[in-house]
Amino acid sequence: MLLKFKVSGTKHPALECLESPCHQSSSSANVDVHRKSDAELGKNSISDLQASIKTPQQIFVFQHLHLFLDDFTPLSLLIKDLISWSCGSNFDSHKIAMSKRVLCKFFAHGACLKGEHCEFSHEWKAPPNNICTYYQKGVCAYGSRCRYEHVKASRGYSSASSSSTNARPSLVSDPVSPGHSTRTALGGVIRVPDNPVEISASFRPFIPPATPAWNQEFGLHDPLDDGDIVEPSYVRPADRSICSFAAAGNCPRGEKCPHIHGDLCPTCGKCCLNPFRPEEREEHLKTCEKKQKQLEALKHSQEIECSVCLERVLSKPTAAERKFGLLSECDHPFCVSCIRNWRSSSPTSGMDVNSALRSCPICRKLSYFVVPSVIWYATKEEKQEIVDSYKTKLKSIDCKHFDFGNGNCPFGTSCFYKHTVKPGSYAWRHLRPPPRRPPPHRINFGVIDDLFDVFEPLEEFEDFSAEDLLNAELTSFEMALLLMDMGLDPCDSSSDEEDLYSQ
Amino acid sequence: MIDFSRVQKELQECTRDTEASGIKVSPKSDNLARLIGTIPGPIGTPYEGGTFQIDISLPGMKNEDVGMVINLCGVIGGFLFADGYPFEPPKMQFATKVWHPNISSQSGAICLDILKDQWSPALTLKTALLSVQALLSAPQPDDPQDAVVAQQYIRDYQTFIGTARYWTETFAKTSSLGVEEKVQKLVEMGFAEARVRSALEAVGGDENLALEKLCSV
Repeated sequence: MLLKFKVSGTKHPALECLESPCHQSSSSANVDVHRKSDAELGKNSISDLQASIKTPQQIFVFQHLHLFLDDFTPLSLLIKDLISWSCGSNFDSHKIAMSKRVLCKFFAHGACLKGEHCEFSHEWKAPPNNICTYYQKGVCAYGSRCRYEHVKASRGYSSASSSSTNARPSLVSDPVSPGHSTRTALGGVIRVPDNPVEISASFRPFIPPATPAWNQEFGLHDPLDDGDIVEPSYVRPADRSICSFAAAGNCPRGEKCPHIHGDLCPTCGKCCLNPFRPEEREEHLKTCEKKQKQLEALKHSQEIECSVCLERVLSKPTAAERKFGLLSECDHPFCVSCIRNWRSSSPTSGMDVNSALRSCPICRKLSYFVVPSVIWYATKEEKQEIVDSYKTKLKSIDCKHFDFGNGNCPFGTSCFYKHTVKPGSYAWRHLRPPPRRPPPHRINFGVIDDLFDVFEPLEEFEDFSAEDLLNAELTSFEMALLLMDMGLDPCDSSSDEEDLYSQ
Repeated sequence: MIDFSRVQKELQECTRDTEASGIKVSPKSDNLARLIGTIPGPIGTPYEGGTFQIDISLPGMKNEDVGMVINLCGVIGGFLFADGYPFEPPKMQFATKVWHPNISSQSGAICLDILKDQWSPALTLKTALLSVQALLSAPQPDDPQDAVVAQQYIRDYQTFIGTARYWTETFAKTSSLGVEEKVQKLVEMGFAEARVRSALEAVGGDENLALEKLCSV
């Protein structure tokens, strides 16, 4: 904070006391300090204090003391006097830089008490800035007593900015100057007197109004600018964002828009290509093209009918049905439910599984698996992409048959699902899958749901040799036993079904 | 379960180009599971000029309960799906008597692979009927349905042609006449109109059967 600078060379109690308020942001604490100090400080003469303020740091402290003085206690008045003395009344402290380069205001008025010892320049080069900035902003507490010229703002702005240009180079050129850091630190301190409870009406004018004066010094642009564009001349064009209105399609400000209007994207027809960011441009063009392609594919897909149900696949009532079932070996469109239905239907009338059910209903080409897809492809590459992404997805799901090494997956190494061998599982211990036939005690007819769950993936992935599975699971005799177990007469099952299992 | 919406679509489609193909499909009653298909005899065959009626019965879900149970036991995955048309072939049978090695002269049963193990859900009633029509023009005596006809076809092709044509004339052509024409024809033969009408009604519109009936009385 501001007063953390060691105020060197001073032992005056006033300064020591005055250090503390700045460490405390609470105004009430400030007041306490003032009251306490009043008794001992009241007697001190102004000349004593004047004598003790010598270093630029001390001056600076005093220049900002007014910010914490909000009543008429003797101390406050005393210090205010001091401040007026140290920086030429008017509390125009912010414009003072601790440099010889800045013209001494007292000298300018022909009344500098320090003479040769003054820290400020006594060289008369620039015309003196003799305009009261407080008056220009509308409030000068000194009124007619003010030593500065009270001129109206029209002339004042130019002179005010000239004064700031005078001050600025000095700040920049003098690296030892604490000016910069203190100014930023002041940002936090200045809030203290803003508390309306503590501020007495008559002193209000001394508090710098809404725009702090140092903002003017740093203000490189018109202060009336509301910050719509932040210092455009200092931002590289690549860092500036493009107008979001234009990118969305229409900017109401048109040509007058202060933001960059992006170049027209040929694919989406919107002005969303930033002319200064080539990577972003490329990326947008790429994604836009991809999106467009997808959209077109989707449009194209809308028209496609399933050859089984003779309906448009994407016009089906439920979302689950609005999917194509891609056959690996041919390009005939079906909805995924229809083609799976067909492939998994019971070969009752002596249909051969491989020649009839596993083949395409149209071209009778044998396909080993069906890939669900919400979009119908136009090219071989697109189809491959769909198939690959489907396989990748399945590869991330644990195979329910394999059961982490405890089960026997009928698809073996060509299974699309993930085969993770858990430590301690059968495969982990014996380095081979367990025997195909599950031990009898493991078939628990009470938990039909569990069994159902186990075979759920088959609905997803029905393409296997059914014979394999039949051999693997149950013989027809076992099946009959099973049916009896479930309270069903096995004779009820048609001979067709029996034939099926003995095949 | 029968996919009735598909059946309806097929019927509409069929009616649209019935002029070109000559194939008609119409429901027997309100129930779309039972239909009647009509195909013209192919030109250049003994069946030319005849109109053949085929009974179509669409299979619903078969052995539903058993299927469910099997599914629950995990013997065949995915058996839960509905069977039935179009996942099962429609049952087709000639209603009109026809002399053909692959069609039973007694029952009208058709021996055609696509109606059995070569059925595909991409086939429709219309395409199936077209296949039947093609079967009429290309008999397969090596894989007969009716052994007697097949024997005749192989040993005495001319007799086969004659018989087939005769059967077409006798059974497949009458149905093309309107009721009034049939009545007219029988009345011209010397029967009373009222009797002709009742006889025709009794035999279901078949002119020959009506004649038999009239003669037998």
